[in-house]
Amino acid sequence: MTKLLDVKNLNVDFRTPLGRVHALRDINFSITKGKIVGIVGESGSGKSTVIWTITQLLAQNAIIKSGTANFNGMDLLKADKDTIRGIRGEKISMVFQDPMTSQAPVLTYGEQMNDIMYRKNKLSRQEKREKAIAMMRRVGIPDPESRIDQYPHQFSGGMRQRAGIAMSMLVEPSLLIADEPTTALDVTMEAQIIHLIRELQKETDTTIMVVSHNLGLIAELCDEVIIMYAGEILESGKIQEIYSNPSHPYTQALLACDPARENKKTRTLSVIPGDIPDLHVKPKGCVFVSRCELAVQNCHIERPKNHQISSSNHFAKCHLLDPKSTQAQTPTNPKKVTKTKVNSERFSHKDEIHLLNVKNIQVRFPIMTKLKAKLKGINKPYVDAVFNASLTLERGETLGLVGESGSGKTTLGRAILGLVRAKSGSVEYNGLDLCQLTSREFKPLRRNMSMMFQDPIGSLSPRQTVRSLMIEPFKIHGIDKNFDEEAKRLCDTVRLPENFLSRYPHELSGGQARRVGVARALALNPEFIIADEPTAGLDVSVQGEILNLMNDLQDEHGIAYLVISHNLPVVRHISDKLAIMYLGRLIETGDSAKIFDKPAHPYTEALVNGIPQPDPKKRRKLLSIEGEIPSLTNRPPGCEFHTRCKYVQKKCKFDPPSIKTLSDGREVLCHFPLEI
Amino acid sequence: MKIQKKKTKPSLPDIILPEKLVLFLRNPMGVLGLTLVLLIIISAVFAPLFATHNPFTMDIANRLAGPSFDNFLGTDQLGRDTYTRVLYGGRVALQVAAIGVSVSLVVGLTLGMIAGYGPLWLDNMLLLLFDAIRSFPTIVLALAAVALLGPSLSLVMTIVIITSIPGYARLARTSTLSIKNTEFILAEQSLGASMKRVLAIHIMPNVIGPLLILAAMDVPVVVTIEAGLSFLGLGVQPPTASWGTILNEGYLIIRTTPWIVIAGGIPLILTTLGFTFLGESLRDVFDPRLRKGK
Amino acid sequence: MWSYLLKRILLSVLIVFLAILALFITLHSIPGDPISIALGPRATPEIQAEYAARMHLDKPLYHQFVIFIGNVIKGDLGNDLFSNRSVLLILSEQLPYTIVLAITAIGWSALIGIPLGCLSAVKPNSLLDKITGIVSVGTIAIPSFLVSIWAILIFSVGLKWLPVIGAGEPGDFGDQIYHLILPAFAVGLGWVGYLARMVRASMLEVMSENYIRSANAFGLKSRTIIFRYALKVAILPTITLIGVGFGALLSGTVFAEIIFSRPGIGKIIYNMVLARNFPVIQGAVLITIGMYVIVTLIADLIVSWLDPRVRDTL
Repeated sequence: MTKLLDVKNLNVDFRTPLGRVHALRDINFSITKGKIVGIVGESGSGKSTVIWTITQLLAQNAIIKSGTANFNGMDLLKADKDTIRGIRGEKISMVFQDPMTSQAPVLTYGEQMNDIMYRKNKLSRQEKREKAIAMMRRVGIPDPESRIDQYPHQFSGGMRQRAGIAMSMLVEPSLLIADEPTTALDVTMEAQIIHLIRELQKETDTTIMVVSHNLGLIAELCDEVIIMYAGEILESGKIQEIYSNPSHPYTQALLACDPARENKKTRTLSVIPGDIPDLHVKPKGCVFVSRCELAVQNCHIERPKNHQISSSNHFAKCHLLDPKSTQAQTPTNPKKVTKTKVNSERFSHKDEIHLLNVKNIQVRFPIMTKLKAKLKGINKPYVDAVFNASLTLERGETLGLVGESGSGKTTLGRAILGLVRAKSGSVEYNGLDLCQLTSREFKPLRRNMSMMFQDPIGSLSPRQTVRSLMIEPFKIHGIDKNFDEEAKRLCDTVRLPENFLSRYPHELSGGQARRVGVARALALNPEFIIADEPTAGLDVSVQGEILNLMNDLQDEHGIAYLVISHNLPVVRHISDKLAIMYLGRLIETGDSAKIFDKPAHPYTEALVNGIPQPDPKKRRKLLSIEGEIPSLTNRPPGCEFHTRCKYVQKKCKFDPPSIKTLSDGREVLCHFPLEI
Repeated sequence: MKIQKKKTKPSLPDIILPEKLVLFLRNPMGVLGLTLVLLIIISAVFAPLFATHNPFTMDIANRLAGPSFDNFLGTDQLGRDTYTRVLYGGRVALQVAAIGVSVSLVVGLTLGMIAGYGPLWLDNMLLLLFDAIRSFPTIVLALAAVALLGPSLSLVMTIVIITSIPGYARLARTSTLSIKNTEFILAEQSLGASMKRVLAIHIMPNVIGPLLILAAMDVPVVVTIEAGLSFLGLGVQPPTASWGTILNEGYLIIRTTPWIVIAGGIPLILTTLGFTFLGESLRDVFDPRLRKGK
Repeated sequence: MWSYLLKRILLSVLIVFLAILALFITLHSIPGDPISIALGPRATPEIQAEYAARMHLDKPLYHQFVIFIGNVIKGDLGNDLFSNRSVLLILSEQLPYTIVLAITAIGWSALIGIPLGCLSAVKPNSLLDKITGIVSVGTIAIPSFLVSIWAILIFSVGLKWLPVIGAGEPGDFGDQIYHLILPAFAVGLGWVGYLARMVRASMLEVMSENYIRSANAFGLKSRTIIFRYALKVAILPTITLIGVGFGALLSGTVFAEIIFSRPGIGKIIYNMVLARNFPVIQGAVLITIGMYVIVTLIADLIVSWLDPRVRDTL
C-alpha cells in the first residue's frame, strides 16, 4: 500500500484587507495509491483550499506558512513553476465544479484536448485526435467523431462535465482531483457521472480525490473519507467506519442533519446551530466548540489531539475520546430544545373548495421573433414551459413540486401567482379564477398569497434596509400600521436579531437573507406561500433552520405551502403531497410518502433511485437512468419520457399517455405504471 | 453558514455613507481628480475674481508678449491677456458641459429605461435609432449642420447633446434589463407593486448610479468637442473666448509664438485628467464591477 | 455563419437607410424653400431648376424620397455647385487619403497599444504596468487635435524635422510617407493609451475566469494560455470598440486633415462648408455613414469569426 500523496503539517493563511485569515491549520492526511478518498466539508471548511494548495494554484494573497505535500517522492509545495506545471500536465489532473465556466469557450474540444496532450511528443496530431475521440466515447459522449469539433456551448451541462472528465483522463494521471464534480448537475445526471467515475477508476486504477459537501456523493464513491471543518481535519478513516460509527461530534451532527439519512419522516430536521468561527483569530481550544452540544470545559481551552479509534486508520480530533482529558467535566453549551414531531397526521381541512385548484395550465414562451424562426427554418418559435398542469392544494397542507432543470416547476409557481401569464388554463384560489382577474383586481389577493424566492440576496432590493424591505408589503397595500412594531414582530417571528433591521442585503449571509424573505412573505399573514428552492445554497447543517421555521409557522398559522425544489431528500421530509414534473408536464401526483416508498412512474423511480445515499452499505450497483433531458424545443413524440425509460414499449413511442388514477388515489401520466 | 471573505457592494446606498467617503479619499487618483475638478469649476465660476484683465480689452502695443508678471500667460495677437481669456474660456466649457451633459443624461436615462423595461418591439426600434445616430461621426454632423444653419454655440450644444444621448441610453438600457430580470423585481411584483412604483423606486435609483459616473467621464468629451468645433470656427464666435478659439488664434500664429497654443491646450488636458480621475475613482468606490475598462 | 453574415448585412443596410431618411427629413423640415436649403444660397437659377427637375419637387414627399434613394444607389450624388463635377467623382478622389491616414493611425497605435496592454495584464503592478498606466492616461488626456497642434509646434516649428502642410508629391512614395508621419502620429496617439487600457482590463478580467484556471490546472504552457485562451477572448471587446470608435477615429482624421491641410474627406467637407457647397457636403455625409457601417460590419464579422458563441445568437 504505497502512499501516493502525503500531506503533513499544512498551514495556509490568506492576506485580506481585514487581516490574515488562517484558512488551513495543521492539515495532515495521506492518500493511498488506487483508492478513492473523499474530503467532506461545508462552506468555509477549507476543502477546496487544500486542492489549490497542493497544485500551487492558490490566489496571489495566499501564504503557505508551513507543510509538505509529498507526491511520489517530491514535495509539491516546494516545486518550482516549471516542475509543477509538468506535474499538472502529466501526473495530477482535475475535474471542476462548474462545467459551464471551466471550459474555454472559443476553442473546440478537439483543440483543447490537443493542447492538453502537448507533452506527448511521440504521438502525431492524428494519433492525439484518435485518442481524444476514444476517450470521449469512453465517457459516454455520443457521436464523438463529429462532436469533437464542436464548442463547449454546444454541449449540455451533463455532456460538458463528461467532456471535462475526458479531458482530465487524457493524460492518464496518477492522481485525479474532482472538485464538487456533480454539484452543478441534475440528480439523474449526477447518478450517471458517479457511475462513470467509478468505472473509470476500476479500469485505470487511478487514484482519486473527491472534494464535496454532498455526503451522499462521498458515500457512493469513496473508500476513505476526511471530514473538514473551518480549516481543520476533524475526523478521517474508512468510509464504512465513519458513516456507521462517527466519532467526532461534528461528524455525528452532520450525518444527523442529512435528510437523506433519515428514514422516518420527522418533519423537523436537525440543525447545527451557530456559525463557523471567524478565522481571523486562531482558535484557542477546539475549533468546533462554539457549536458542539457535547463540549466541556477543556474543549474551550485546550487544542484537542488526534485520537486513533479502533485498529484501522480511523482518527478523530476530539477531547471526548480521551477520558483523561475530560474527567469530571460537564457540558457547557446548553442543549437546544428541539420539538420533535413524529408522524402525526397533518390536520387538513377537507373543505369542499380546495384552497388552490390549478387546472390545465399552459405557459408558452416565445424564444425568437417569427421572422427569425422563418430564417432559421424552425417551425415552432416557442417553448411550452408548462403544459397541461393540474394540481390541488388544501389549507394547511404542504405540496412538494419536484423536477430537474427544464421541468417547468419554477414557471408553474410563477404562473400560479400571476407573475407569468398562462396561455390557457385556470388557477382557482378559494374558487376564484385568478387568470381572469386584472392586475388591479388581483392586488388585494396578494395579501393572501406570497412567494419566497430562490436567490435569497438577489430577491431583495439592494438599496433598501432590512427594515424597509419588511414593511414594504404594508406600504404597497396601503395598510397603516406602526411600522416599527411590525418590523420587530416579523424579526421575532423569523428569529432574526433586531439589530439586523438596519443592515443592507449584501451584508447578510445566505441564511439570514432567506429569513428576511420569509418575513416579507409572512408580513400580511398569508394563507398560502410558494417557496422556490428554500434550501438552495444552504449547507446541510443549517438548511433545517429554514425548514423548521416554515414548519412551525404552518403549525401556528395553518399556512399552506407549495415547495418547489429539486432536492428530493428535503422535499420528502416536509411534504404531504408530491407533484413530479418532467418537460413541463406533471407526470405523477399524490401522497408524498407513498410515492417515495413505491414510485409508480418510471421517471419518479429513476429520481428516487438517483439520490446518492449517504450510507456506503446502500451503494447502487445499477445505473438508474440513461441519457439526457430532451430540449423543450424538441419534444419527443408519444410519451415524452420514452427516450430514457427503462420499461419503454412500442406504444410509448408514438401514443401520448393520458392520466391514470391508481388505487391509492395517485395520478400518473404513463401507459404502464409500475406496481405499487 | 458562509464566511464572507469578500464584501461585494452591489450598488449605491441611499446616502453616501461615510465609509464610502473614506474609501474615496484613500485613492490618490480620486483626490487629485476632485482637486482638479474643483479648481476648474471655481476658476470658471469665479473668473472675474481671478482675472487680471478684461478678456476683451485689446492692447496692440503689447501684443504677442511672452509670460510676465503682468500677463501670466502672455498676450495674444490683439494684445488681450491670455490668462484672463483662458479663465473665461472655462466658463464656456463648463456651460456646454453642464447643459449638455445634464440634458443628455435625462433624455438618455428616460429613453434607456423605456427601451429596457418596455415591450420588445419598442426596444428594437430604439436600439436601431441609437445605432443610427452613433453612425454619424460628430464632426461630420457638426460640419453639415453648420453648413445648413450657420455657426453658433447653441448649435454645438445641440449636436453634443444628440450625439451623447445614445451613450447614456445604452447604459441605462443595459442596467434596466439586468435589473428587470433579477428576482427582486419579481419579488416586488409578487407583493403587488405597480409598474410606476417599480420603475421609480426600484429601477431608477439602481440605474442612475452608472449613468452619473458616465456623466463625469463624459464631461471632458463634451468640452473637447466644443473646443474642437470652436477651433474650426464652427462654434463659439470671436471675440468670445473659448479654449477652442484661443487655440485657433494661437495656431494661426504658431510660428510667431508658442505660448498661446500652450495656454489654450493646458486647461483642456487638466479638465480631461481631472474628470477622468474623478469618474474612475467614483466607479471604483461605488461599483467595482463596472471596472471593465470602458 | 452565413446566416449571421446575411443578418448583419441586412441590419447595416437598414441603418444606412434610416440615416439617409433622417438626412432627408432634416433637409425638408428646416423652414424655408427646399431648393435653397439643399443647394444653398449661392446656387444659380440654372442649377436650381435642374435640381428641381431631377428631384421632382412637385411630387409628394415620399416619392421624392424614393427618387433620392434611387439616385444614391445609382451613385448619383448630385453635382458640385461650382465646378459641376460629379460629387461622387470629387469624393472618390479624396477618399483614399482619408483611408490611408485612418488606417495608418489605428495601425500603429494598435501595434503598440495592444501588446502594451497585454503585457501589463500579464504582469500587473510591475514597473511596466505602472509606466503603461501613466502613458495611457497621459495620451488619453490630450485631445487629438491638440496633439496635432502641439506636434506641429514641436516637430515642425521647433525642431523642423517634419513638414506641416499637405500629403506630399503624388507619385513620390517616400515624400508621401514623410508627410504622413506627423498626422498619423497625432491621430493615433490617443488610441495607444485607450487600447492599452482596454486590453489590459479585458485581459485581467479574462485571466480571472474559471477556464483559465482549468488551463493552468491542465499544465498548459503560460504562453499557450495567454495567447490561445486569454487573448483570443480578451481581444473581442477591443475589436468591437475599434469598430464603434471608428466615428471618433474619423473625427480625429478630419481634424488632422484640416490642421495639416491634407487632402481628404474632412478637408473637402470643411472647405465646402465655408463655401456652402451643399451637394458635396451631403455626399460626404452619406459616404462617411457608409464607411462607418462597413467598418462596424467588418468588426462584428471578425468578432463572430473568433467567438463561436456569437454566431449562434442573433
